[in-house]
Parts: sequence; structure tokens; C-alpha cells
Amino acid sequence: QSLEDCPLDEDEDAFQALGEEDEDIDQFNDDTFGAGAVDDDWQEAHERLAELEDKPVANREQDGPSGEDSDLLGEPEDTLAERLTRLVIDSELEDPAIMQAVQTKVPAQPGGLNSSIWHSLAVLRRIRGPLLTQEMPSVSVLDYALPQRPPQTREEERDPSERALPRRSSSPVIGSPPVRAVPIGTPPKQAAVPNFNQQILCPKPVHIRATMPQRYPAPYGERMSPNQLCNVPNSSLLGHPFPHSVSPVLTHLQRAQLLGGAQAGRMSPSQFARVSGLVGSPLPSVNPKLLQGRVGQMMSPASGFRAFFGAPPAPSQPQPPPGPAGSHLQSLRPQSQMFRPDTTHLHPQHRRLLHQRQQQNRNQHRSLNGSVGDRGGHRSNQQERKDPYANLMLQREKDWVSKIQMMQLQSTDPYLDDYYYQNYFQKLEKLAAAEEVHGDGPKKERTKLITPQVAKLEHTYKPVQFEGSLGKLTVSSVNNPRKMIDAVVTSRSEDDETKEKQVRDKRRQTLVTIEKTYSLLLDVEDYERRYLLSLEGERPALMGERKQKICDMYDNLRGKAPGQDRPSDDHFMQIMCIRKGKRLVARILPFLSPEQAADVLMATARNLPFLIKKDAQDEVLPCLLRPFSHVLYHLPLGTVTSLVQQLTNLPQSATASAPTNLHLTAVLQNKFGLSLLYLVLSRGEELQSSDANTELMQDNQWTELMLMATRELLRIPQAALAKPVSTPSNLISLFSRYVDQQKLNLLETKL
Amino acid sequence: EKHLVLLRDGRTLIGYLRSIDQFANLVLHQTVERIHVGKKYGDIPRGIFVVRGENVVLLGEIDLEKESDTPLQQVSIEEILEEQRVEQQAKQESEKLKVQALKERGLAVPRADTLDEY
Repeated sequence: QSLEDCPLDEDEDAFQALGEEDEDIDQFNDDTFGAGAVDDDWQEAHERLAELEDKPVANREQDGPSGEDSDLLGEPEDTLAERLTRLVIDSELEDPAIMQAVQTKVPAQPGGLNSSIWHSLAVLRRIRGPLLTQEMPSVSVLDYALPQRPPQTREEERDPSERALPRRSSSPVIGSPPVRAVPIGTPPKQAAVPNFNQQILCPKPVHIRATMPQRYPAPYGERMSPNQLCNVPNSSLLGHPFPHSVSPVLTHLQRAQLLGGAQAGRMSPSQFARVSGLVGSPLPSVNPKLLQGRVGQMMSPASGFRAFFGAPPAPSQPQPPPGPAGSHLQSLRPQSQMFRPDTTHLHPQHRRLLHQRQQQNRNQHRSLNGSVGDRGGHRSNQQERKDPYANLMLQREKDWVSKIQMMQLQSTDPYLDDYYYQNYFQKLEKLAAAEEVHGDGPKKERTKLITPQVAKLEHTYKPVQFEGSLGKLTVSSVNNPRKMIDAVVTSRSEDDETKEKQVRDKRRQTLVTIEKTYSLLLDVEDYERRYLLSLEGERPALMGERKQKICDMYDNLRGKAPGQDRPSDDHFMQIMCIRKGKRLVARILPFLSPEQAADVLMATARNLPFLIKKDAQDEVLPCLLRPFSHVLYHLPLGTVTSLVQQLTNLPQSATASAPTNLHLTAVLQNKFGLSLLYLVLSRGEELQSSDANTELMQDNQWTELMLMATRELLRIPQAALAKPVSTPSNLISLFSRYVDQQKLNLLETKL
Repeated sequence: EKHLVLLRDGRTLIGYLRSIDQFANLVLHQTVERIHVGKKYGDIPRGIFVVRGENVVLLGEIDLEKESDTPLQQVSIEEILEEQRVEQQAKQESEKLKVQALKERGLAVPRADTLDEY
């Protein structure tokens, strides 16, 4: 509505200021109550803002000599901002998503030097890429910015259709393609983020996600004050002492920048321009600080950004520090500087490789086309000849895109967000370390992307409340979502359900149990890592939690039966019928106590033929062998005996009249069964041989069982016998106790 | 210089990458679609491509020196299209058999493209 019409009222300068206030109010209303209230499209918002700002700023410039209009302009802006701040109550620990929609006034700026910086910043935003890169020799930023502005803005205003992408007054490349229409993905050339120029440039509250109200230093300041942040990279990155007298002035600027940069990924190249423009100022001492500020801008204000820089880049950067900051610096400083793209966020190895490659390219392929690679201004002449379409993207734009992508990689908990990647690289590193131990071959440089690590922000977001509104306005945002659907679970307990349904439901129940137990298992497996990361005091609590979860898992497995003595294996069997269930059991077993584990083993052995039948398709039972063998290792004699009994399914009192023992047969014919049997027998043998006067020999049960087992083994034809996973070596000695030589030989052949 | 883009539908595009943005939308110049079947490949010149970011799987730079020494043999367009058709048919057959086998087991492996459009 009023927004779109605004920019073209060039003629009515006199009425501008007055009319503006009405428009402001309209806009303001719209923002609070109407369609514009929650506007998440920052790009549209940015374009609108750009249009808005063009107008008043242009007016101000034009009416430079007569300061009346500017005063008038200043006033409504102030009152508006004040009105806004009054309107939103309880805004201290606010929902950042909402607060961005409601801009606040910048706290009182320090005077003098800063105000001129603000102005220059305001003005810098107008500066277009190509102008920066090429036409600005080393003139002070403050000087060149102002006089140039009016002609630019005039041009801009005449071009409402090209808001976000002003026409290039000079193309960097002869025959460059015509100005393109504004695609939504274009990094904005004009400021998206007037976060520290608010009262000057932002007459209306506009919804720009990228801005951060100045009230926010608290959460970020806690971690590391911007001063610290700046000092740290200063020492590691630049190795450059800088006069501390400059710091107070710049800290404010940097803080604003840092906070602005703290937003999730809405930096624009114009911000780069702004900062790097300042870098070229006549104060050489300012440069390192600002560079840091910009560098700091790239990263989250939290403490983890040190991870960005692997080794200190000092050795690999003999050039003066502002070199890495980007191509636009080249124009502002003496041309002797070598152009280097901004690679400070990459791993040092990666960076070195990149630079090496660039060097090579430069040396070898002088006349090579650069489609994406931006080799610097001095080569543009050569490039024109070969590829007129090269360098469509400015280095600034490329940096912008890559910065966004890096921001997307920021994570508070890499283990949670990116588990497989982390594990993969840990394994690789372990391998590399192992290799290195063996030989001194050249270590392969594995370029690992070091992503910034943001400390977790714990905030409870209170919903924003607006003053002066009727009732409670609830604005839903990312942090305070609105409930959309009421999903109610109704369990059907009809008696006329068909049997099929019941079966299906039962299966579903089992599946749900498996999933729940899996979550518990993953948590338990993770405890070790958390243990290492946690504080001393928290550890007992963690241990307790872990134990509890293990118990829960076991209960889930066996099926809680409060009244019974747990006679039924039914629940467990259900789980074991499903492939995932078997895998789950295999993973849980190491965590269970010996009794619990033995219990599981028994249950398995007891029902082995059934399981074998069910496993015919999946064939995943062997995965259980390893954990089983671990468990077996710790089992006492009695348990082993009963295990064998279960396996062979012999009645307690051996009535030898059973001609064929189907249970044992089935067991023997299955890979898993046979292997398990062997394991158990082997364990028994171990126990026997280790302890001379053990009761095992005297145990009738054991003897009978052994006899039975051997008889069965002998009976079964060789072909039917399954192939075990591994044949323990002490089986022969075991059998030798019970059978005579002839049979022993036979057994030997079978094994 | 030249970049190779692999798209989600399996196509391979080779061209000069002119522009990208944060969604990985790409602008490719003098694009050539390269179809690989076995050891043979064929190029179809396509011109300028604008690719929407969500369809990009991989993007890599082509080393121009290495581009020339490749064991692959370039054939004409008609031939490569024919080969491709044959290959597609064979794949469909085996896919059908697989699905059949899985159905017997009571499993249903969702095919990759249906996964995307849940």
C-alpha cells in the first residue's frame, strides 16, 4: 500500500516529511495488527526497507544545506522507535523471532568520531560492488562516500524496478551481460541490516530478520564479551598489536556487528562492503580491529569459533593481515597487495591447498577462463578476451553464499546433528593415527571442514505481549509455535474385533516396544560420552539415570508381569521374532547384569527351535552369538548345566526312551543353534578343566546331558549337521571324557 | 572451470558454472548432458541451464587435464540413447523381481522417488 507508492514522490519534497509520518503510522499499524505483522520474508522486507531508506536518506542528502527537513525526519523516526519500545512490554528476554519484527532504537551513540562513522556507514550501504572494487583508489572512505552519494541515489530513485540490484555504472568486463532482473536469491547489494543505523535510516519498523535489537547483548555477552572475542583472534590470526586507544570506539561498532552477525545467516555482502570500506580508512590501526570484527561477524559470538582456525594462519600469510578480507580491499589500499579470497573459515590445510592451486593456476594458466574463480581485477583484461561470461558472480557474492552455508553448519551439538559424519571422521583419524604409528609415510591430508560450534542457548521464550491491545495478542513464531491439531489417541477395546486385528495389534505393540527400547538403548550407549563431558557433580545422577534405563530396557524385553513370577517367555518371543528385536537384544546384552543376561539366554535356548523356524528368512540369529559368548564367559556351572538342558530339552529325570529328540535335532541343524551349543559345551569344558575338583564330573545331570549330546551328534548324518560359526577347540577333550575312542574319532570327523 | 553436476533424477550435466546462491540453484553455461551407459558415453548439448537447488545431488569441478584421459568411449547420441533404453529395461525387470521377493517377506522397500514426495 503506502510502501510501494512512496518511493516515487520525488517532487513533493516539502510534503515528504509530513506525509511520511502518516505513512509511518499506517505502516506501523499494518505491522502490528495487519498482514505485515509477521513477515518472515526478509528479502521482501529488505527490499521494502531499501526503498524506504532511499527516500528519506536521499532527501536528507538533497536538503543537506537546509537542515530543517533532516530534523523533521529525525523526529518522527525517534518517536516511532520510542513508541514501539513502549508498546512491547516485557521485552527483556524476548522471543527473538518476534523482536526482530519490532525494531528498537539504538542506545545513545557516543559522539564525535562515531557519529561520522555512522553516517559513513549509512552511506556506504549505497555503494555498489563494482565501484568499490575498481574505481575507488585509496581515498579515505569518509571522504569519498559523501560526495558520491547524491548522484548515485538519484540514479537509483529513477530505477524503482531495480531496487535490489542497482545498475552498474561501469561494468567490470566489457561485453558483460545486461542487467539481470532481480532474482530472489541475489544477495542484496543494499543494506539488509541497518542494525546500527537505525534511527537514521529506519523511519519505520520493518521486519528484517537479520537485525538484532541492541538489548540483546546479555545472552551473547555472557559467553565472551566482544572485546575478548576481538582480542582472541587478534592474537592468533593477525599477530598484530594494535593501539588500545582505538578499541573503545570500535568495540561498540563491533558489538553491533557481532550481534548482527549472530543472527542465523542473513549477512549480506553489503555488510562486508561496509566493514571493509572502513578498513580502508586512513587509520591504519583501525584495520586489524575491524577485520576482526568482520571475521567475528562471520562466526557466532559464542566461544566456539576458535574451532574455525586450525593452526594459526600466521605462517601461511606473510601478507599484511587485511589481505584475506576480500577483493574490495584491494581497491581501497595500495595496489601492491595480493588478492586473496577470504578463506579464514576453512581448515588451514584446505586453505593451503586452495592457495597453492591458485598459485599454480596463476602461473600456468594466465589466459584461462574463470567461470567461478575470481582471480582478481588485474586479470580481467585477459579474461575478457576468452570468456565474456566469466565473473558473473562477484567475490563478494561468493563469499556471501559460502558464509550462509557455513552458518547452516553451525551446530550446538554436533553429535546430535551430525552423528555419522563425526563418527566417520573419528574412525578415519584413528586409522590415520594407527598408520602413523607403524610407518612414517607422509600423512595424507584429509581436509576436514571445521564447523563453528555454538554453545547451546537455553532460553525460555515468553510470548510477546503488546501493550494497548485488546486482549492478549498471541503471535506465533518459531520459538512459540501455535498448536495446530488436537490429536487424541483413542484406544479401541471392542470385543468384536477379529482375530486378525488382534494379531496385528499385538504385533504393533511389539514393534512399539522395540522402538521404545531402542531409544533407551541409544541413550544408554551415549551415557559414556556424556559422562566424560559432564561435571563432577552431575556424574552420580547420570549413573543413576543410566541404571534406571537399563532396568527399563530389561523390563521391556521380558515383559513386565507384576503379579506373575514371570513364567511366560511370550513377550520376549514376540520381540525375538522380529529381526529388529533380535538385533536389539544383541545390543542390549552387554549392558545387562549377569543374572538378567543369563535369563535372556535361557529364554532363548528354551525356545530355540521356534526361533530358528521364524528366523529362516532373516537369518539374523548369528548376530547374537558374540554377545552370548560374552555372557557365557561369566556364567557359573549350574547355569551352564541348565543351559545345556534347555538347549537339548531333556526332561529333568532322564528317561532315555525318547527316540528322537526333535529339539536337539533342530538345534544341531541350525548354524546358530549348533554354534551356541558348542559354545556352551566349551564353556562347560573350560570350567571342568580349570577347576580340578569341581562337581561337574560328579553331576549326574551333566553326564547324562553330555551323553545325550554326543549320542545325538553321532546319530545325525554329516550332511544334516549345520556349519557352526566357530568350533571351539576343547570340544574334543570334552567328549573324550564320555565316549570311547571309536566314537571319538567319529565325532572328530563330524566337527 | 567446467563443472559437473549430478541431479536427483540421475542426469549428469557438464557446463561452466556461472552463478550459485544459498539454495544451490545453479546457472550453467554451455551445458552438455552426458549419458553414461557402461563404458560408453554420449553428449547432448543443451545450452544454458538453470537448475533448482533442491534437485542437485553433487557438484564438482572438472580437471581439464584429466578430462581427456578417460577410459570411456564417446559415441553418437543415437547410440547412447539406445543403450540407455536397453539398460533401463533391464533395471526395471530386476526391480520388479526384487519387489516381488520383498512382498513375500512382508517387507515393502519404498522406492527412492516415492520417498521424496511423501
